Amino acid sequence: MLEALSLNGKTVVITGGGTGLGREMTLAMAKAGADLVIAARRLAPIEEVAQQVRAIGRRADAVTTDATDTESVRLLFKYVIKEFGKVDILFNNAGIVREDGPKPIWEITDESWKIGIDVNLSTAFYCSRAISKHMADRGSGKIVNVSSGYGFRGGRDNYMYAAGKGGIVNLTRAMATSLGKYGITTNCIVPGFIPTEITDPDSERSRQRGRFIPIGRTGVPREMGPLAVFLASSASDYMNGEFLVIDGGGLAGGIAPTGHAPEIPLNI
Amino acid sequence: MEIPEGWDLTGKKAVITADRRGWTKYYAGALAEAGADVAVAGSENSDMIEATKYVKDQGRMGFTLETDLMKRDSVNSMFEQAAEKLGGLDILVNNAKVDFGKRFEAITEDEWDILMNFNVKSMFLCCQAAGNKMMAAGHGRIINMTSDLAVRGLWNSVASCAAEGAIHQLTQSLALDWGRNGIRINGIGAGWLTTKSQSEENQKELLVRYLPSRRRGHPSELSALLVYLSSDECDFVNGQTIFIDGGALAHA
Repeated sequence: MLEALSLNGKTVVITGGGTGLGREMTLAMAKAGADLVIAARRLAPIEEVAQQVRAIGRRADAVTTDATDTESVRLLFKYVIKEFGKVDILFNNAGIVREDGPKPIWEITDESWKIGIDVNLSTAFYCSRAISKHMADRGSGKIVNVSSGYGFRGGRDNYMYAAGKGGIVNLTRAMATSLGKYGITTNCIVPGFIPTEITDPDSERSRQRGRFIPIGRTGVPREMGPLAVFLASSASDYMNGEFLVIDGGGLAGGIAPTGHAPEIPLNI
Repeated sequence: MEIPEGWDLTGKKAVITADRRGWTKYYAGALAEAGADVAVAGSENSDMIEATKYVKDQGRMGFTLETDLMKRDSVNSMFEQAAEKLGGLDILVNNAKVDFGKRFEAITEDEWDILMNFNVKSMFLCCQAAGNKMMAAGHGRIINMTSDLAVRGLWNSVASCAAEGAIHQLTQSLALDWGRNGIRINGIGAGWLTTKSQSEENQKELLVRYLPSRRRGHPSELSALLVYLSSDECDFVNGQTIFIDGGALAHA
């Protein structure tokens, strides 16, 4: 059982792997034995992570890519196939929370909507489309999408992220259903509130949020590592179309605020 | 091999409940492979003896405890003995389950009661008994084994679906009550499993063709997730039932 968790010999492509949760997943997969191609729009953060992967002893290539641009995506995978000969695992991790702050719906521009949907949803489709045939021809592959608690629940003044991450949820199911017969599994990681350098773990807001999470704290990015390794490995071969929620219990509660605990005696 | 982070149960003490399905050995064996000592509790009809063999094969302590999982006194006594012999209690795996399929109008009162007691009430009794110890220690992991029947209907399966639905909600709600006590409760939902080999299975069977992965799963394919959910590192996953079913739920 434990041997199945090894990623030795595996090639992983991860979008948005230079920052936040993506970086932790990249490093964890490298420690488990994988080689990585890290794709994002800005080179500096992904090159930094790539160097950290090389320090672990694995190969890592940082490739600047705009995953909302289908030509850029095509060139990314052309490069990967040329350099590595194969792709075993794709992590569709690219996404943005917000370009600007929360806004009432009537103040959201066409541009904001388009960017939000493109980055959070279309990127996953474009990358999956680009590599699925290759995986099908090989008879095996794993695609891991990244959604969010907001893919399953509404958030106040949170439209693009909710719609985009929600779209990821059913895109995962559609892909799982359609690609399963080719030996490809499609699953989805659903992180709860896990502050990163982007969302600022040391802020008062992050600390406050911990109080509303059932276990009493927010998540820590390195907790994503084992989950990423599990989904990338053959230990999860029979998991398909599933959502791994890692949120301290947030989605398990929710119909009432934390601390609302009615005590009602039993009287038939 | 070095145990990967997230799968190391070295020094952990586990109790797993057994039944007649014969799958306890895969889960008990996996817990032991990851380093845990395991007590296996079940009736004399259960697969608990074979399960402890799988534990000992991994070089860990394994022993049986004959238990009536439907009776509070028997369950409480079992946990006392288990904790004493193991030297503590870190992990509870509620695995015992009886399968049952019958058109609803034909189900007898006895059948309903036995199914609910063996599948659901046993979890209530075990979680309470284990929980008392885990709360005192400020730490614990509980994994409830369930199935796709927790979230979908199935013909001839009203009673089983109702039981699994109850388990799904027990998992979710108990995770809230005990969230601040250092205890995590999660579930693993099995899809269509078999222990027959793929060549023995009828690949043309309508059910198999319906599944996105085009095959049934093997119980051992749930083991890696079980070990992860039992580990100390898995601290932010809570109240979740995670399904391993080849895409059955995604499709339907």
